[in-house]
Amino acid sequence: MAEPARSDTSRTDIALELRGVNKTFRQRQRSGRMGDIVAGLIRPVYREIAALRNIDLEVARGAIVAYAGPNGAGKSTTVKIASGMLVPDSGTVRVLGMDPVRQREAYMSRAGVVFGQRTELWMDHTVAASYDWKRVVWDIPRERYDRMLAYVLDVLGIAEFYRTTVRELSLGQRMRADLGMALLHEPDILFLDEPSLGLDVLAKRSMLDFIADLNRQRRVTVLVTSHDMAELEQLAGRIVMIHRGEIAFDGPFDQLRREFADRRVLRIDTDSPTAPVLPGATLTESLGCRHEYAFDAGEAGIAELLACAANQVALLDVETHRAPIDDVIANIYVRWQERSRQ
Amino acid sequence: MNTLTRLCRLWALYARMDLHWVTRDTKTFVTWSISDTLLNFGGLLGMMLLAQRFGGIGPWSQAQVLFLLSYSAVCGGVMEMFCGFNVAYISRRIGRGQLDHILAQPQPIWMALATEGFCPFTGSAVILPGVLLMAWAVSRLGLRQGPGWYGALALNIAASTVVALSFQFIWGSLAFWAPRAAEEINSASSRLLRQLRPYPLEGLAPALKGALLGLLPVGFLGWAPCRALLGMDSRPTSIWVTPLAAVGFGLIATAVFRKGLAHYGRTGSQRYLAHGHRT
Repeated sequence: MAEPARSDTSRTDIALELRGVNKTFRQRQRSGRMGDIVAGLIRPVYREIAALRNIDLEVARGAIVAYAGPNGAGKSTTVKIASGMLVPDSGTVRVLGMDPVRQREAYMSRAGVVFGQRTELWMDHTVAASYDWKRVVWDIPRERYDRMLAYVLDVLGIAEFYRTTVRELSLGQRMRADLGMALLHEPDILFLDEPSLGLDVLAKRSMLDFIADLNRQRRVTVLVTSHDMAELEQLAGRIVMIHRGEIAFDGPFDQLRREFADRRVLRIDTDSPTAPVLPGATLTESLGCRHEYAFDAGEAGIAELLACAANQVALLDVETHRAPIDDVIANIYVRWQERSRQ
Repeated sequence: MNTLTRLCRLWALYARMDLHWVTRDTKTFVTWSISDTLLNFGGLLGMMLLAQRFGGIGPWSQAQVLFLLSYSAVCGGVMEMFCGFNVAYISRRIGRGQLDHILAQPQPIWMALATEGFCPFTGSAVILPGVLLMAWAVSRLGLRQGPGWYGALALNIAASTVVALSFQFIWGSLAFWAPRAAEEINSASSRLLRQLRPYPLEGLAPALKGALLGLLPVGFLGWAPCRALLGMDSRPTSIWVTPLAAVGFGLIATAVFRKGLAHYGRTGSQRYLAHGHRT
């Protein structure tokens, strides 16, 4: 297999482009009633689930984009379509200037995919054997393989378990080995679907640092999905949020906070166990003389809230900070659900 | 790099990995090999004993029955050697949602399937005893054949293997449409082939014989090619019957598998079993 030209397939600055992509799945419906069991054999009942609706998405070369949404929102479907494992019902998909399905072989030599719940490694072989397998199957030139191998062994800390059987690795080690393997052919674009699933705090941090470094140093385009918003915010400047198959938000994290309310937390220590009533703020917790409120900085100013509190009690200490991004997102999801019910 | 060179390179890679696996846990390998050999030959033993007891079966002499048994053992061995890691049990890979791993490779799907299952060491438990059995049968038959006959033998063994693999793929492709229900369908279809392949088909009603050469093509895994190779079917074209059947079954299997793959591309897999995607 000839070595693919690494720069000539696309002359645009867009690495990933989805235009009007739709994907619908059918789910068999069963009631469990005797009559329906027989009827279902003759005429099965299906429910159509729109996994993606008219998705338009562009990711620039060298960008790192967080792709988020609640369970069943369509994140993995998007990743599978972008990596050529699933065909959209309609719409166009171009990645690195290629059609991931029609030009699968050329495309896969330049793209990398890591699914948090899957492994590409050979379970009964060492990491080293799996990496050598990748070298031969991907037909990676020796110079590039050696260079990338040295890089992943060093930066991902794989050297310590490089000659260990994959089955004997911890989850964190396995994920690192999987990520390293996805990089051996030096992909131009990397899809990471829940890459930190099940990892402990340290392993997660090391994984995130590596991905950020990879994007910064090697200009690898990264599309990463995760449930962990704090993790995504740490990694990416831009977040695309998907809900019920539609893009509900696409922009920087700061804008997300602004658009969906700049949620803040105000904690005050007073001389009274009775929490003062603050218009525009919601009391979330009261422990002794310490009271905690949540408020939207766009609607209620901190100075006004503090003045109002000082009129009712003596303030001993004041602390304010932004609500964690997870709370912001949870709030958004709740709003979406309420909107869907209406 | 041309296709043949790449195939050879991949086979060499998988042979190396197979050797690594064998040497990693030799005790398990030896135990597994012995039990697998006994199991496979246990399946042939009934026929061998019948032939011994009755001095042959129908028009087949004892030595001819021995050749038939060895032929089907070698075919089974070739399958095990080239189609390990659930390539021959493709319904498992499809049903477990593991085809994505092949789709993620920058090579044709057929090439991945043709090479990934190659395990010359762990898969040799049946083929080597089968070859020895065949050599014994040939010597008992007093066959003095030239290279042409051995070429025809190799061609027919390859063709029989293709028929068996095609049969597995035709049934295994059902897992594209029913991943959970059909995940283990290849275990059943493989069992059928293994149990029925060493039987001579003489004396069967034409409809049944037709079925065993069509719907369930066990006749091409022993009976038809052995008749041709042993001169029991004197028509000069008989040697080409099994290779022709291999082409036919191969085309059907390819068409069914491609149709299933297109369905897989549209629906994806709703389930994934992660206990090593090749096991």
